[in-house]
Amino acid sequence: MIKFFSKIWENFKEYFVLILLVITSLFILSQNKSQEVQKVRAIAFGSFAVVTSIVSDLFNTSNIKSENEELRRVNSQLMLRISKLREYGILNEELRGLVGFKDTSAYPLIPATIVSKSLSRTNNTFTLNVGSKDSVKPGMPVINDQGIVGIVHSISEDFAIVRTLENVDLKLTVKNERSRIHGIMRWDGEELAIINVPETYDFKPGDRIITSEASYLVPVPIPVGIVAEMRNVETEIFSRVKVKPFANLLNIENVFVLGIVQSIQKENLELNLYNK
Amino acid sequence: MRFNQVVPIIFFFPVLLFQITVISLISINGIIPDLILILLVYYSISYGQVYGTVLGAIYGFLFDLITGSLLGSMMLSKTVAGFVAGYYSAETRREKFLNTYAFTFIVLLCAVIDSVIFSFFSAVDFNTNIFKLFFDQALLPALYTCVVSAIIIVFPYRRSFN
Repeated sequence: MIKFFSKIWENFKEYFVLILLVITSLFILSQNKSQEVQKVRAIAFGSFAVVTSIVSDLFNTSNIKSENEELRRVNSQLMLRISKLREYGILNEELRGLVGFKDTSAYPLIPATIVSKSLSRTNNTFTLNVGSKDSVKPGMPVINDQGIVGIVHSISEDFAIVRTLENVDLKLTVKNERSRIHGIMRWDGEELAIINVPETYDFKPGDRIITSEASYLVPVPIPVGIVAEMRNVETEIFSRVKVKPFANLLNIENVFVLGIVQSIQKENLELNLYNK
Repeated sequence: MRFNQVVPIIFFFPVLLFQITVISLISINGIIPDLILILLVYYSISYGQVYGTVLGAIYGFLFDLITGSLLGSMMLSKTVAGFVAGYYSAETRREKFLNTYAFTFIVLLCAVIDSVIFSFFSAVDFNTNIFKLFFDQALLPALYTCVVSAIIIVFPYRRSFN
């Protein structure tokens, strides 16, 4: 019997090993949301990011880093104010009075440098040199002077992983700045698109897309991109709105983490969709 | 386990460091070569199919863990890629596959398989044209990886890997 099994093992061991490892991979895939896995991951990427940041600094040839950082900070704050001013131009005073619109132009900005980029067509992530020590928390938006870049996904003490706009796992509630129509935007591996938009909704090429106040993750209007193209899907009931993002993720080096902390009351009232 | 079989795991870290810091500088329209895969194919051919499969799983798991991608997705794709690369590890033909441009074609095959599996688990969207998806996400990065892998062939000190 033992001979029989050892013969089978000898002849098919490659396949046994393959099947075993494939099953292990599938099991690990199913454990992604587990707290323990998140902890192990935070330790792993935190440790490796220390080395990555050193190497990244070697490639950073900028000698006027601090001045550049300050200019970017001002630029980002101006971008946010411009975005807010556009909002003021569209919403009328009476409505703002009714909803108790608050002045939120001075958002806390945490400057960060991208120390590594994991580029792929579907799961783009960046590692930033800021972490829980800098008051960064998962779910915080990451912006640059052009617009939104992504959302902080996980953190260690000194580093944070950001899911960029070009990540299939990131879905954002956005709205058309002109027509005020909301939609869900996601990256499908090829393009950024607002999906399942009814045919009757008013979207036109060239419309500016900003993040929506209805969004749990990014409840302030931050520029996202412009409508590049409208496309009918096969059912002819819904359209697909292609969005060209303002932020160029390929050559980006410095960003800001927007230190927005959700209201605890609101958090208690709403479902935390990000953690689900 | 002999020391030279541990070397590939030690090599993984500097290559990963290079992959996530420097390689993005040579990206073409967001497409980058996969150096980890080249390393995996090289060692799978050198040490056999079982070794290649296990090494693929280790590389994929570490990559997922460190870069923040969906844990298990790269592990699965690299496991299969290592298994396929191991087919070319027959002792009589090993040198031929490692030292000629056949190596680049093995890399191309494994890169396509790796990208297809990885894309399937990370970006399935039934509204997208499956052929376009295959072209953009599998074939183009695989071709880029294949071209870069030619460096291994012309690298005069490749034996230092061992």
